[in-house]
Parts: sequence; structure tokens; C-alpha cells
Amino acid sequence: MSWLLILLIGLPAAAGTALALAGAKADRTAAALSVVVSALVLGAASAAAALRPSLSAQFLAGSGFGLSVDPLSALLLPAVAGVAFLVLLYAAASGIGTPARFHGLMLLFIASVLVTVTATTLSALLFAWEIMGAASYALIGFHWRESRRVSSGLTAFVATRSADLGLYLAAGAAMAAGAWSGDAMSLAGLDSLPGPWRDVAAAGILVAAVGKAAQLPFSFWLSRAMDGPSAVSALLHSAAMVAMGGYLLLRVQPLLAATGWAADAAAWAGAATAVVLGFIAIGQQDLKQLLAASTAAQLGFVVMAAGVGDAAGGAAHLMAHAATKSALFLAAGAWLAALGTKKLSDLRGVGHRWPLLGGAFTVAVLSLAGIPPLALWATKDNILTAAREHSFPLYIAGLAGAVLAAAYAAKAVALLWKPMLPETASGYDAEETGSRTVTPWQLVPIGVLAACAAVSGLLVLGTTGDIIRGVLGSKAESSLLELAVSGLLAAAVLVPLWVLGGKLPPLPGALAWLHMERAAHIVLVRPVLAAARSLARFDDAVLSRGVERAAKKALQGARSLNRADGALDHGTDAAAAATARLAGRSAITDHTIDGAVSSLARTVRHAGAAARRPQTGQLHHYYVQAAAVLVVAAVLLIVVR
Amino acid sequence: MTLQLVLIGAASLFCVGLYGALSQQVVVMVMMGLELMLNGVILAAAAFWWFLAPAPDGQVLLLVVIAAMTVEMAMGFAVAILLHRSRQTDMTEMASDLSG
Amino acid sequence: MPEAVLFVVLAVIAVAAGVAVFRTDSMARASYALAVSFVAVGLMLLQFRLEYIGVITVLMMVMEMAVMAIFMIMFMGMNPALMPMDMVHSKKLSAGAAIGLFLLLTAGILLADWPEGRSNAGGDLTRSLGEAIMEPKMLVMLVISPVLFATMVSALVLANPHGRYSAYPLLPAEDADDDGQGHEQGQPGGSGGHAAHGMHGTDGGSGTSDGHGQHHGGGGHQ
Repeated sequence: MSWLLILLIGLPAAAGTALALAGAKADRTAAALSVVVSALVLGAASAAAALRPSLSAQFLAGSGFGLSVDPLSALLLPAVAGVAFLVLLYAAASGIGTPARFHGLMLLFIASVLVTVTATTLSALLFAWEIMGAASYALIGFHWRESRRVSSGLTAFVATRSADLGLYLAAGAAMAAGAWSGDAMSLAGLDSLPGPWRDVAAAGILVAAVGKAAQLPFSFWLSRAMDGPSAVSALLHSAAMVAMGGYLLLRVQPLLAATGWAADAAAWAGAATAVVLGFIAIGQQDLKQLLAASTAAQLGFVVMAAGVGDAAGGAAHLMAHAATKSALFLAAGAWLAALGTKKLSDLRGVGHRWPLLGGAFTVAVLSLAGIPPLALWATKDNILTAAREHSFPLYIAGLAGAVLAAAYAAKAVALLWKPMLPETASGYDAEETGSRTVTPWQLVPIGVLAACAAVSGLLVLGTTGDIIRGVLGSKAESSLLELAVSGLLAAAVLVPLWVLGGKLPPLPGALAWLHMERAAHIVLVRPVLAAARSLARFDDAVLSRGVERAAKKALQGARSLNRADGALDHGTDAAAAATARLAGRSAITDHTIDGAVSSLARTVRHAGAAARRPQTGQLHHYYVQAAAVLVVAAVLLIVVR
Repeated sequence: MTLQLVLIGAASLFCVGLYGALSQQVVVMVMMGLELMLNGVILAAAAFWWFLAPAPDGQVLLLVVIAAMTVEMAMGFAVAILLHRSRQTDMTEMASDLSG
Repeated sequence: MPEAVLFVVLAVIAVAAGVAVFRTDSMARASYALAVSFVAVGLMLLQFRLEYIGVITVLMMVMEMAVMAIFMIMFMGMNPALMPMDMVHSKKLSAGAAIGLFLLLTAGILLADWPEGRSNAGGDLTRSLGEAIMEPKMLVMLVISPVLFATMVSALVLANPHGRYSAYPLLPAEDADDDGQGHEQGQPGGSGGHAAHGMHGTDGGSGTSDGHGQHHGGGGHQ
């Protein structure tokens, strides 16, 4: 059955890679291809949810690459695939510059999300986690010609990446603790790690998930991420990427439970986020910023659910929130494309202009507020119930978060149906030139998502809720009283604010998201850069100087060798000259010897010539000679003897 | 008649003969000089024999000298005749074939 | 003493005669002077009681002078006019050599330390000489005899006008009046004996054949 998983993941991955690499050549077919592929992925995800395949392969030493569809991922796979399909449909309908690159990156992102959802080992998770981060950077900074968008993408990427170090820490702890068996880094086995390693792993995973889910104190990156296209916001920052932070915590919820402090930390972090970001959302004036803050707040509920051990409620909330928020983001994107603005005050009265769109937006907003019988009301209450069982202050905090959700939801929708003021139109085309149209194909995905947002409450209510709870092993079930109380509370907050036009006194600093980004800069960015600069100075002053000195020494050595060689050459030349002189002298000697020899020869020749002279042939000459010789001989004889 | 006296006489004869042998151009005259030299040699030999060793056996030497003189005479005259026959001359200059 | 005087007289005669040989102008007289010199030496030998040898010397030399006179006249012709003949060459050198040698010899004779003379020879010297020749000194005789014989033979051979070979038949007729120079025209063969014995390499032709009989006695004088 693993071929299904391979198909599920390989199809978007291959299609996305092909589209991204093909570039401008594939622009015409990109949108259609991506819609088709995402439809196929939806089908495969549904099949996988039914068939529960699993797959494992060799990856690293001591850790395999494991994918499998268990009950939790069986719930989320179709949801994520469905939202992805609808978002891609909207993107195809609304159009975007360089569609091939866009759709290619989106498909790649979807493939990595699917791997994250089905991963069973930390190495597979890390693998997909990183690809998600890289794709989000590329997608947020999609309109790269505007440097602000690119720097937003960089901020988002670096913030989440810094948080991801926790995941590496957890992986290291798991590897250090576990034996080098294939199961060493499985997510399921994390809660069985020995004492300190388990705490380290829990802390690491907590930090990573909190960073990815834009909880406090990492929430600032979500604000910056709103610079990306609306489809990106709809998929990444509502349904897929930030949701994966919550999903990770849901998956390792046994580990959190095993290490007691981690569960409490997660729960309180979620609750705090829900409250604080609720206030921040109220203070926003930009629709997308408001929605971003509400995303973080809602995900706080999911994190709280993981902390209190309510996996079913958390998963249901995740799915319901995905549908709701993506519908809201897509509508905001449609208005941005049509009117060129996303400021709440400039969107006054837009509901009348495009009623269907306005209606869908309203439905989703009501769900966000927690108005019964819409989805988020039910799932939120499930979580609150579980929280109440865990600790009452937590329940109160969650309730406060719910109230604040109703408030900012009211703010979002309040001006929509109000009649337009004359000065409203002057704010149009502030960010881009609007097309003043909303195509029907843009409406379809929004409508579908709004409808899902309406009915998702069934995930926790009724028979389906029981099934899910049974499958995921959760026990929390909201009582009717709780449901009623929360619904009334939400309505009580929502209606007056709506009527009042959403005017609320904001928390000081809320507009600037409590300056979290600046705080992160001061706390983290500046020290790191300062350290890097001092290290660079150290490198320049000490290390490279050392290298330069070594080079200089080598050069000096070479020069002295050169001088020695020159001296050697000198010596050789002198020796050669002396040898030449000696040779010359020997030549002279030779000459002298030659001269002596030749003079000797000459003398002998002369003597020979002279020897012929006595031979005159004259008799008397011979007699004289004979007489002389005889006399000399006789005298010699007499003298000697 | 001492040895020295006789020997001086022999020496004078020898030297006269030497003068003749060296100075004469005609072959026969040269031979006459040679005769005189041998004359002196005979005299000197006789003196030596008489004064120093008058054994009878010593006379044989004189005979030998005389025989040598004879042979020399004969061959010399034969050669002179030949020279005359071939070159129509009796001058020693004409017989300078050994010059080289 | 009288012996000494006799000896001195004879010595003077010998030397004078010797000098006279080279100073006379006539050939005959030169020969006679030489004969006189030899006779004086022979007489001196007789003084030494060398009778045999002395007599032999005298006899032999007289005969030899006679022959020599014939030869001299044959080669050089009579000089009836007794014209002065000065056929010498390098007179000074030879005189100087002779005088030098005489002085040297005299010095040697006078200065040499002659050993003591023995007693005079006694007995019959001739007889003892004969006995010496025949017995202890037989070898001398044995050597001298063949030498003398060889001399005779070779002299005859050399002097023979025909040489050893008969006349070459291809010898062409020679001109009646050719001058005193030799036939240098390279006649083949010629008197083969002359060609063989004469060893006159530079001459192409042989010497005169006896057919001419022209003895250029006086021709070669100048």
C-alpha cells in the first residue's frame, strides 16, 4: 500500500519541481496543471486516510525515513489536501504574475506538508520541516521586486529557522539517548526516552512548534508574512504551515504528558497567546494583519489542547480553523485584488458591492467568533472543557481568549455592511491597482470553504465526534451547559460591537504587535551580528595576518634562497672561469710542449739533413772522417784505459 | 834506437801517407798514400815486437799486415780499372756514387 | 850507436822518399820514390833482425812498384815534359790533418808509459817464424791463404774486360768517334758483367766495351 503514499507525495513534488524549473515557458499551463494535481492529491489523501498505508526507507544511519497514516494524520490529510485544492483553484482563477513559479512552489510546499503530516521519524520530520520553511520564504517574498516583501520573507524564515533549532536539539537528544536501532528517532518513541534526554527533547520540540505556530514570543513573523500574496496567506498561514506547529504538539502529546512541565508550559503558552494576540488583533487596522493575529490566537487554542491532552479537540479545531481562516484570507485577497486596499476603513460597504462574497466572509467570521452552531464554537469548547479538567485558571484564560475572538471578529465584519461613505473610495488602489471585479471562479473556493467552516462543528459533536474521539483516544466532551454559555458570551460580545462599527479602544502597542519584532532584533539579531563582526575582525586581525605573515616568511625564505642560489651561481662562474684559465694555461703548456716537440722534430730533421752532408761520395772526405773517428776512439781508449 | 825513436819515425811515415791519401785526386795516388801508411804500420809493429815482445810468434802479425797490404793493393787496382772502364776517368771525384 | 845512426838515416830516407812521392811531377818517379821508401823500411826491418820479413818486404814492394808504375802510366799517361801536376784537393785540410795527427802521435809516444822491454829475441828467427806459422799459428795461414786466393780470383774477375758473361748479341754497333764521355744512352744489356758488378746506378749504359779500346786516360784529368 506504500505506493499510495509515494503517489501522494511524489505527485505534487514532481509537478511542483517541474513547474518551478520550467519557469516562464510553462506559464500558460501552470494554473491548470496545479489545479489538476491538487485534485488528484485530494483524492489520494482521501484514499490514504481510508487505507492507512505506511512506508519506511533507509535514510540516515540510526534513523530511517518513516511515513505512515495513523488516525491523527488520517483526519488531517484530507483537510489539508482539500484546503490546498481550493486555494489553488482560487489562485488559478484570480491569476498571478509568473504563475509557473507560483504554482510550482505551492505544489512543493504541499508535498512537504504531506510528508510532515505523515512523518513517523524525526529525520523525516526535519526533512520536510526545512523544505516548508524554504518554500515559505520563497512564497512570502514572491513579488521579489519589492524589497520589503523579500525582507519580510527573510524575517519569517529566520524566525522560524531559529525556532527549528529546538527540533535539532530534540533529534540530537533522541539519538544520544536511544540505541542505534532503526527506531531510535521515531516520534512515537520520544516519550520513552530516559530521563534528562526526554526533557531536552520535549523542550526542543516545544520551542520548534511554538516558533512555527507563531505563538508568543515568535508571533512577529506572522505579521511580516502578510506581505505575501493572499493565496499564500490562505494556505500557509492559516491551514498548512502554522498549523503544523500545532499538529506537531498534538502528535507528541504523550511526550508532553510524560514530562509534566512541558504540558503545562504548552497549555499556558497557548492560553497566553490566545489572550495577548486577541488584544493585538483588536488593535489592528489592516484586515490581513487582523486575520494574522487571530490565526496566532486560534492556534493558541490548539497548543493548549495539546498541552491538556485533548488530541481530538485540537485536531478538530485545527481543521475547522483551517477552513475558516483560509476562507477569510481568500476573501481579503479578492478585495485587495479588486479594490487595491486591505485597510478595514477603506473596505467599508464592500459587502453590498459583492454580496455573495460578503456573505461568505460573514459566515466565516461568525464561525471565527464562536457563534453557534458554527464550527469553531464547538471545537473551542471541546478544548476549553479539557482545559477546565486540567486546571481552572487555564479555563478562565481560554474563555477570555474566546471573548476576545468574538471582539476582533466583530471588528473585522463590522464595517462590511455599513453604507459607503464618500471618502471611502479615496482609499482604493493604495497598494495596487484594483481590477474592480471578482470573478465567479474566485467565489467558488471561498464559498466552499465557508460552507466547511459552517459544518465542521460536527467533528466534535454528535456521532462523528464520538467516532473521532474514540479513534484518537480523547475523553473530553463538552457539556451542553458549557456550549450554551460560550455561545451566549460570544453573541453578547459580537452583536454590540458589530452595531457599533467595531470601534474599540486598542491596547497600547497592539498595532505594532507589542514591538515583538524590535525586541527580537535587540535580543537576538544584534548580538549575533555583533558576535559575527567581532569574529570577522578576529579573523582579519589574527588569522589572516598569521597567514600573511607565513606567506611573507615564505617569500623571504624564497628570496634568501634566491640570493644563496645567486652566490652559488657566482661560485660556479668563478670556478668555470678558473677552469678556463687553467685550460688556457694548460693550452699554453700544451702549446709549449707542442712547440718543444716540434722544435725537437725540427732539430732532428736538421740533424738528419746534416747527417747526409758528410756523405759527399768523395773518397778523401771519407778518409778524413774515418781518420778522425779512429783517432778519437784511440785517444778515448788510451785515456780510459 | 829506442822505441820512441822508431815509433816517431813510423808516425812520420804514417802521417805522410795520410796526407797523400787525403789530398790526392787520382785513385792510384791515394793508394800510394795508403801504402805509405801501411809502411809506417809495419815499422811500428816491428818496433813494438822488437822492443816489447820479441817472441817469434809475434812476427806472424807482420806477415798478416803484409798480406793485408797485398790484398788491398790487388782489389784497389781492380776497382780502379773498372772505374776507368766505365767512366773513362781515374779521379776520385767521379766515383761519388755514395753521396747522399 | 851505429845502429841508431843507421836507423835514423834510413828513416830520413824513407820519410823523404814518401814526401817525394807526392811532390814529383812524374808518375814513374813517384813510383820509384815509393819503392825507395819501402826499401828503406825493409832495411830497417833487417836491422831488427827480421831478415825474412825484411827481405819479403823489399822484394814485394819492388815488384809492386813496378806494377804500380805500369798502372799509373796506363791511367795517367807519361808526362815526358814533366809539367807540374797539382792534382790535389783540400790540400790544407789534409796537411793540417796529417800534421795534427803527427803531433798527436808524437805526444802519445813520448808521453806513454811504455812497459819494460824484454830480452832480445834469440835463435833463428826465420826458423822460429816458420815453425810458428806451421804449428801454433796455423790458423793465420789457413785464413790468409783463401783470402789471397779469393783476392786473386776476384781481381781477375773484376779486371776481366768481358766480365762473366759473353757479349750480348743485340749489342748495337757503336759509333767510331764518340768523345771521352761514357755511353750514357742507356744501351740495353751491354757488357752484362759490368752492369752487374759495376753497380753504376746513375749510368744508363754500361762502361765501354773492349771493342773501343779507347782509354781516355788523359780525358778525365781536368
